[in-house]
Amino acid sequence: MHDSQDIETATTAVATEGRPDDKTRRYDRQLRLWAATGQAALENARLLVISGSATSTSILKNLVLPGVGHFTILDHTEVTPEDAGNNFFLEGPSSIGKSRAEEAVRLLCELNEGVVGKADTGNVAEILDKNPSYFESFSLVIAHNLHPVLLDKLSTLLWSDPTYPILAVVNSAGFLAEFSLQFHEHAIIESHSDTTPSLRIDKAFPALLEYAKSLDFSSMDSMEHSHIPYVVILVRALEDWKKQHDGKSPQTYDQKKEFKAKILDMKLKIDEENFDEAEAQAYRCWTETNVPSDIAPLFDDPQLDSLSPTSPLFFHLLYALKKFAAQPPHVLPLTSTLPDMKASTASYIHLQRLYKDQTTEEKRTFTSFLQVPVDDDLVDSFVKNAHGLKVLRGKKWGLLDASPEQLAEKLSMSPRETSTHLAMSALRASTIKHPDIRPTAEILTSEAKALLPPGTELPEEFSNAIGELVRAPTADLPNTAALLGGLVAQEVIKMITKQYIPIDGCCVIDLIETWTGMI
Amino acid sequence: MASPNNPVDWQGRYHHIDQILDTPGPRTDEAFMAGDGVKNFLRNEAKILVIGAGGLGCEILANLALTGFKDIHVIDMDTIDISNLNRQFLFRPKDVGKSKAIVAAEFIMKRVPGVKVTPYFGKIQDKDDDYYMQFNLVICGLDSVEARRWINATLVNLVDPENPESLKPLIDGGTEGFKGQARVILPTITSCYECSLDMLNKPTAFPICTIANTPRLPEHCIEWASVLEWPRVHGDKKMDTDDPDHISWLFNVAAARAKEFKIEGVTWSLTQGVVKNIIPAIASTNAIISAACCNEAFKIATSSAAYLNNYFMLIGTDGVYSYTFEHEKRDDCPVCGGESLDMSISSEMTVEEFIETLTEKQDIQIKKPSLSTPTKQIYLQAPPQLEEATRPNLSKKVSELVEPGGEVTVTATTLPFSLSLRIQFTSK
Ligand SMILES: [Zn+2]
Repeated sequence: MHDSQDIETATTAVATEGRPDDKTRRYDRQLRLWAATGQAALENARLLVISGSATSTSILKNLVLPGVGHFTILDHTEVTPEDAGNNFFLEGPSSIGKSRAEEAVRLLCELNEGVVGKADTGNVAEILDKNPSYFESFSLVIAHNLHPVLLDKLSTLLWSDPTYPILAVVNSAGFLAEFSLQFHEHAIIESHSDTTPSLRIDKAFPALLEYAKSLDFSSMDSMEHSHIPYVVILVRALEDWKKQHDGKSPQTYDQKKEFKAKILDMKLKIDEENFDEAEAQAYRCWTETNVPSDIAPLFDDPQLDSLSPTSPLFFHLLYALKKFAAQPPHVLPLTSTLPDMKASTASYIHLQRLYKDQTTEEKRTFTSFLQVPVDDDLVDSFVKNAHGLKVLRGKKWGLLDASPEQLAEKLSMSPRETSTHLAMSALRASTIKHPDIRPTAEILTSEAKALLPPGTELPEEFSNAIGELVRAPTADLPNTAALLGGLVAQEVIKMITKQYIPIDGCCVIDLIETWTGMI
Repeated sequence: MASPNNPVDWQGRYHHIDQILDTPGPRTDEAFMAGDGVKNFLRNEAKILVIGAGGLGCEILANLALTGFKDIHVIDMDTIDISNLNRQFLFRPKDVGKSKAIVAAEFIMKRVPGVKVTPYFGKIQDKDDDYYMQFNLVICGLDSVEARRWINATLVNLVDPENPESLKPLIDGGTEGFKGQARVILPTITSCYECSLDMLNKPTAFPICTIANTPRLPEHCIEWASVLEWPRVHGDKKMDTDDPDHISWLFNVAAARAKEFKIEGVTWSLTQGVVKNIIPAIASTNAIISAACCNEAFKIATSSAAYLNNYFMLIGTDGVYSYTFEHEKRDDCPVCGGESLDMSISSEMTVEEFIETLTEKQDIQIKKPSLSTPTKQIYLQAPPQLEEATRPNLSKKVSELVEPGGEVTVTATTLPFSLSLRIQFTSK
C-alpha cells in the first residue's frame, strides 16, 4: 500500500520542520483549548485586581501562568502577620510590614517572564473620588471583598459606559463565597458548543445529490459496496424514497421504520457496517435542517437594525448570516467538517471535497451580504461556528438585591443558593451599618429580611449560611481562596478570549457540602 | 497559637483558619474539638501523603501547607518538562529535567516556614503497606488510571476491622480541560475508585484495518506511523513520546502518508497529541479541583465541618456547572465489594476471545490478564515457561475448561488485586 521511497524522502527532510518553539511548548496544554487566537487575546489583556488578598493572588496566579499580558494590583496596605500566614504570594514573616501590592506582584511575576505586573500602592477610595478615568485603561477589573460602599461606586462607574472594563465582583468569608461578572454585552463566536452542524442530508446541495445519484451500487465490487459513506447512502435512499412518495421524506413512524428496513435491505453482505451506520443516522433524513432554535432569536437583535460602520464586527457578521438564512433553503452556511465514517479513502476524500467546495461557495454568498470589510479568518471562524453563536446580555452588579419580589421568588425556587447569596449580602450590609461590631446572627437576619418583602420566611438553609458567616466573618481561607481563584480565573479567561460560555448571573459556593450553584 | 514544635509560628499566622478552628458552625459534627485540641492535631500530629507533584500536586502541596499541615510527604516518579510550566507553579524553566517531588518539596519549605515536606522520587508501587500505614490521609492528584487503581486497592486492602487507624481516607482529584472531579473515598465504607471505573471515558481506538487500508483522518495517518511503521522500521527500539526527534520522525512519516492519500491536517502538534494521548490542562481547573480536595482533607482532619459525600463533578465550559452526589458502592466491585462479578458468555467463545472481551470491558479494563479456576490454570501471561505451557488453552473454548456457574480468577501484574468472575454460558 505505501511507497517506501516516500517514507525515506520524508524522514530525511529537515527533521525540525513543524517543531514548536519554546513558547508553544510551554503553552501546549492550553493552546489545545483556546488555540493561538485565544492566546493572543489573553496576551493583549490588561487586568486590574483590587487588593492583594489571598483570594486576589490566587485568581491572578491562574491568569499569570497562562500568560495574561498585563496585571496591576491596587492595594495601599502593608502586609500584616495575618496576611503572611494565608497568602502563598507573600514570603512569610519576611514580607510583614512591606507593601502588600509590591510583595505580591514580585512573587507572581516569578511565575511567567512573559507577563508584566505592576504594583500600585494608591488608595482605591481616593482614585474613585479624584481620578475615575484610572480604570479605563484596563480590559477587566477584579475586586475581592471590596468595601461595599466602594464596590457600589466602582460598579456604578464601570456600568456607566459600555466601553468601560468588565467587572468581576468576588466576595468570600470562611467556607462560603459568591462572584459575578458585570458586563453589558458579550458576543461569542467560538462557544465550543457540543452541538454539531447539520450535514444537510435532507437538503442535499446539487453536487452531493448528483454524486449520490450517479453511483451505480449494483455494479460495485464487494469492497467498494461496503465502503460507500453513509452520507451518500442516505442521500440516495432518500431521493429514491421521495420519488415514490410525492417528493416527501418519511413522515409517519411506520414510514420511518420502512425506510430503515430499506437501507438494511441494500446490504449485499450481513457485515456491511456502512449500511448499519446509515440506518443509525437515518433520522437525519426527516429532521429538517433549518436555522437552529438557539440561533434564530439572535436575528431579532435590535443592533441589526441600526448597524453602522463602527458597530462591532460580530453584529455585521450576524446581519450577513440573517440575510443568508433568509434565502432558500433557509439554513446556516455549510461547514466542511465531516465526521469520520466507514468509507474507503477515495470515497471519503471525494465526499469531503464536495463539502469543501460547497462551503467555499456558500461562504462567498455569505460574504456578499457583509456591509464592511471583515478579515477572512474571522469570516471563516464565524461561518464554521455559526451553529453555536451566543450573545449574553449582562446586568449591573447589585440589581438582584434591588428587587425584593424577585429575591423571594428565587428563595423559594432555589433556597440553598439564594440563602447563601442573601447571607453574603447581609454581611456586606452589616459592614456598612455596624462597622465596629462583629456580625451576629440577629444582625445578619435582620439585614437579609430588609432585602425581602415583609413577612418572608427564611429557610433552614439561611441559618446554616449565616451561622458560618458569624463563625468566620473575615476569614480568607486558603482552600476557599484557591477554589475561587480557579473559578474566577476560568470566567475571566472565557471573557477575554471570547471563547466558551461564561456565567450569566451570580455563582454561589458552599465548601461545607461542596457545591456550587447559580442564581 | 504558638506551637512548641514549630517555633517559627508567629502571632496572627493562623488568624484566618483559627476563626474556623475556634468555633463550630451550624453543620459541624459534635466530635469537633474546637480550639487547642484540633490545632495541635492538625499542626503537630497529622501526617499526610500527596501522590503526584504535577498539575494537581503543586496546588495541593501549597494549600495543605497554608492550612496548617506540617508533616507532608509527596511521591512522584516524573521529571519536569517545559510543557508543565503553564500550570505547575512551583517549577521554573531552570528546573526542567529535575524531579517534580524534590523541587516541589523544596519550594514549599522555602515559601511556607515550618512545614516539612518529604519527597520521594519514584513509584508508589515501590512502597509497602507499612509505609502507607503511617499516614492519616492520602490525597491523590494523578493522571494515570493504573496508578489510581493501585493505590485505591492498596488502601482498601490495608483496612483491618480491628484497627480503626488502618482506615485511611483517600481523596482523589482529576481534571481534563475545563472539567474535573474531586471525591472522598473511605476505603471499604464508601464507593471506591474501582467501583466507578465505568464512568471513565472510553479512549478513542482506531481499528487496525482502517489505519492500514482506508485512512481518512489525519489521526489515522499518525496511528499508522506509530503503530505500524515505527516497529517495522526501528525493530525493537522503543518509541519515546517525550523525545522530540521521535515525534518529528512520526510527524514526517504521517505527513507523507497523508499527502499520498490527500488527507489534510497532519501537524506536529496533532502528532504529539495523538501519540502521547495529551489531555489539555490549565492552571485554573487544577486550582479548583485541588482546592476541593484539600478542603476535604482539612475538614476530615479537623472535623470542623461536614465533608463531601462523596463525589463533586465540575464542568466549566458552559458557565459553572457542578454536580455533587453520592456515588454508590458496588457489591460486585472486585476491590471493595466481596461478591464475584457475574458474566455471561457464549459457550462457543475461546479463551483468547474471552481475554479480549475482558480487556475491552469498561468496568474491568485489565491489560494482559491471567486466568485460572480454583483447580487449574487457564492462561498465564508470565513467567515464560507457564505462558508456554498454558498457551494451547487459548484456542480452546472456555466452556471446555470452566463449569457453568464456575469461578474464574483474573489477575494482572499491574493490579494489586484479583477479580473473581462467575461464568454462565449462553448457547450461541
Ligand atoms: Zn469498590
